[in-house]
Amino acid sequence: MRSSMRKKKSRPCWPATRLTKAEEKRTVMPARLLLKRQDSEGENGEAFRFLFPLLFFLSALVMIPVLGTLADSLYRDVSFLPGKFIGLENYVALARDAAFWRSLRFTFLFVVVSVPLEVTLGLLMAMVLNEPFPFRGFVRATLLIPWAIPMAISGRIFELIFNYSYGAANFLLNLLSLSAEPINWLGSELGAFAALVITDTWKTTPFAAIILLAGLSSIPRDLYEQAKVDRATLVQRFFRITLPLLKPVLIVAFLFRTIQALQIFDYIYVLTGGGPGGSTTSLSLFAYQYFASGDFGYGSAASVLLFLLAMALSALYLGHGAFRRRTS
Amino acid sequence: MKLRGLFRFMLFLCTLCMGCGAQKQEPVVFFVGGAPNELEAWESLAKDFEEESGIPVEVLRQPADTAQQRQGLIISLDAKLRDPDVFLMDVAWVGLFAHSEWLEPLRNIDPSPYFEKVIHTVDTYKGELIALPVYMDGGLLYYRRDLLQEQQFDEPPATWKELLRACLKVQRERRKADPGFYGFVWQGAQYEGLLCNFLEFAGSQGGFLFQGSNVILDTKENRQALQFMHDLIWKYEVSPPNTYTEMREEQVRIFFQMGEALFERNWPYAWKLHQSAGSPVKNKTGIAPLPGPAPGKSVSTLGGWHIGVSRFSDAKEAALKFVKYVASYEGQKKMVLRLGWNPGRRDLYEDKDILEKMPFLKDLGNIFLQARARPTMPYYSQVSDITQRWINAVLADRIEPRDALQHAEKEIAALLARYSID
Repeated sequence: MRSSMRKKKSRPCWPATRLTKAEEKRTVMPARLLLKRQDSEGENGEAFRFLFPLLFFLSALVMIPVLGTLADSLYRDVSFLPGKFIGLENYVALARDAAFWRSLRFTFLFVVVSVPLEVTLGLLMAMVLNEPFPFRGFVRATLLIPWAIPMAISGRIFELIFNYSYGAANFLLNLLSLSAEPINWLGSELGAFAALVITDTWKTTPFAAIILLAGLSSIPRDLYEQAKVDRATLVQRFFRITLPLLKPVLIVAFLFRTIQALQIFDYIYVLTGGGPGGSTTSLSLFAYQYFASGDFGYGSAASVLLFLLAMALSALYLGHGAFRRRTS
Repeated sequence: MKLRGLFRFMLFLCTLCMGCGAQKQEPVVFFVGGAPNELEAWESLAKDFEEESGIPVEVLRQPADTAQQRQGLIISLDAKLRDPDVFLMDVAWVGLFAHSEWLEPLRNIDPSPYFEKVIHTVDTYKGELIALPVYMDGGLLYYRRDLLQEQQFDEPPATWKELLRACLKVQRERRKADPGFYGFVWQGAQYEGLLCNFLEFAGSQGGFLFQGSNVILDTKENRQALQFMHDLIWKYEVSPPNTYTEMREEQVRIFFQMGEALFERNWPYAWKLHQSAGSPVKNKTGIAPLPGPAPGKSVSTLGGWHIGVSRFSDAKEAALKFVKYVASYEGQKKMVLRLGWNPGRRDLYEDKDILEKMPFLKDLGNIFLQARARPTMPYYSQVSDITQRWINAVLADRIEPRDALQHAEKEIAALLARYSID
C-alpha cells in the first residue's frame, strides 16, 4: 500500500526522471545519494574521507556503548558474583518480572498520553507565533524558557508546586477557598501520573512548538491567499493546507518527543521517586535501580529492551514516508 | 565482554590522563560527600594528616545525595579504577562492597575500641576487618516536652499504644488553633528511609526481614506492623497524608521544627538543627528511644558511615595510614568537636571534653549499642527496593498488608533464584 502511495505522489513531481523502485530505495539516506552521484573511485574515496571523522565519533560515542550494553546483557554481570555468559537468561527473567511489566506499562502510557498532548499544544503555540503581532520576538523567546531549564530543576519546581504542606497548588486552592482540605497530589496513582504528564508537557511543549514553527514558516503564504480567494474557511485551510504540508515536520516532532518520553527519568527521580507504591517507575528508572545496586547485566537487559522499543517506534515513524518525499 | 573491557579501559585512560599532573608521590584520593560543613571538616582533617605524615591527601567532593555517592563509587570500583583510594560507605552498602571484593582488608588495626556489634555484623568479611565506623546513626524519637506537659504526660511514650494515645489527645487540642497539626511524623516515602522505619515498627514487634538467607516477610508481626503504619495515616489520622509521598528525613525534620508535630522519628542529626538559633522548637524538644510493643522493647535501625580502602588502590599503604588516622581517638575527636558527630569509637562517649559539649551523647551511645543493623547480604539493596515499593503501596492504601508482603516475598524469591551461584 505504501509503495502505491509513493508512486502516486512522486509522479506529478518528477515526470522526467522517474526512479525505478530499487533506485528509489537507495535515495532514503542523503549520504548514499551523495555517494551514488560520485561516479569515479577517487571522488568516492574523498567523500569517505570527509565522512570519516563523523563516522569515527559516531561509532566511538554511540555504537561502542550500545554494543557494550548489548554484550553485557548476555552476561550475569553482578558485582558480587563471578561473571558468567548466560545467553538470554536475563531477558527471560525480565519477562517473568512483574515489576518490569509494570514499568513498561507505565512508560507506554506516559508516552501515549504526553506526546500527543505536547505536539497538539505545540502546534497551537506555533500557529499563534507564526502570525505577525507586536513583540512577537519577545514572546517567542519567552516561550522557550521552560525548554531551557534543566530537567531535574523543572522537576524541583513542580515538586514545590505539588508539595502537600507548602506547595503552590494547595496554597491557591486555599486562597480561592476551593477546597477545605489540602490535596495530596502525588498520593494516588492517577495524581502522580497526571503530575508527571503536566511537568513534561510544561517543559517540552515549547520544543515541539519551535520545530513546528520552522515547518510552518516554510509553507508559502500565497497558498493561503489563494485558498482565501476560493473562500476556504479557516478550518478548511488548516486541514487542507497546513496539516498536509506540515506532516513531515510533525513526524519529526512526534519522533523526537516519543524517544525522549520513552526515556523519562529525571522528573520521576525528583518528583515521585517511582512511588506511590512503585506505580510511576519508568523503564529507565527500573534499569537504573539495578545499575545502582551492582547488577549490571540485568540493568543492561532492561536498557537494551528500552533501546529496541525506541528503535522500533522510530522505524515506524520513518517508514511513514515523510522523509522519502523530502529527499527525492 | 571484550567491548565492555575496552570501554572500561577507555575510562581508565581518561582518569590516568587527569592524574598525570602530580607524578612525585601518589596522593591518597579520598571520595567524600555530605553537607558543606562536613566536607570542610574532612578537608581540614586531611590537612592535619598531611602535616603529620607528609602523605598528600586529595579530598574529592562527592554529591550530597547518598544514592549518587553510591553510584559514583560503584562505577569507579566496578571499573577497577586506581582512584579513589579511600572512601566513605553508608552502612547499608558495606555488604555489597565487601561481597564484590572491592575492599582491602584493614590489617594491623585493633577493632576493640569501636562498637563491637557493628564491627562484628557490618565491618567483618571472611574473618577480616574491611571497614571502620566513623559516624554512628540510629532512629530516635523526638518529642515536644511542652505539649506533652500541657496534657499531663510526664514521660515520653514507651509503647506504640501510649504514643498513639498522646498523639490523639494533643492533636485534638492543638487543631482548634492549628488545623495543620499532626501527632507523629516519620519517613514513609518510597526510599531507603522507609525500610529503616519499617524495620523499627516491625522489629519491635518481633518481625524480621530475613532468617539466615531465607526471606520471611509475610509474618503475623510484619502484617501487624504494616497495618499500624497504615492506620497512623488513614484510621487515626495522626500522621499527615503526605507521609507516603514526600516524607524523607529533611521533610520530617522541617515539619517538626515548624512546630507542626508532637513526635518525630529521625536520626540524631536533627537535634542540633532543632536546637539552633531561631528554631521554633528550641528548648522545647526532648529525645528518647523509639517506643516498642512493651516498655524497653524498642528497636532502632542502625545507620552511619564507614571508611574503607579500595582493593584497586595505587597507594594502599598510605591509604591505610590515613584510615588509621581518621579512625584514631584524636582524629575522631576532632570530627566530633567540629561537627557534633556521633563517633564510631565507643571510648569517645566517655571523653570529658566531648561530654561537656554534648551531654546527650551518653544516651545516644546506649541507643547505638542496641541498634539493629540492616541485613548485610550483597543483594540487600535490590531486596530493599522491592520491599519499599510494596510497603509504600500499603501506606498509599492501594493494597492489603498481607497481599503486599506476599507479592514482595515472591519478587524477592525470584531475585534470589537469579543470584543463586552455580
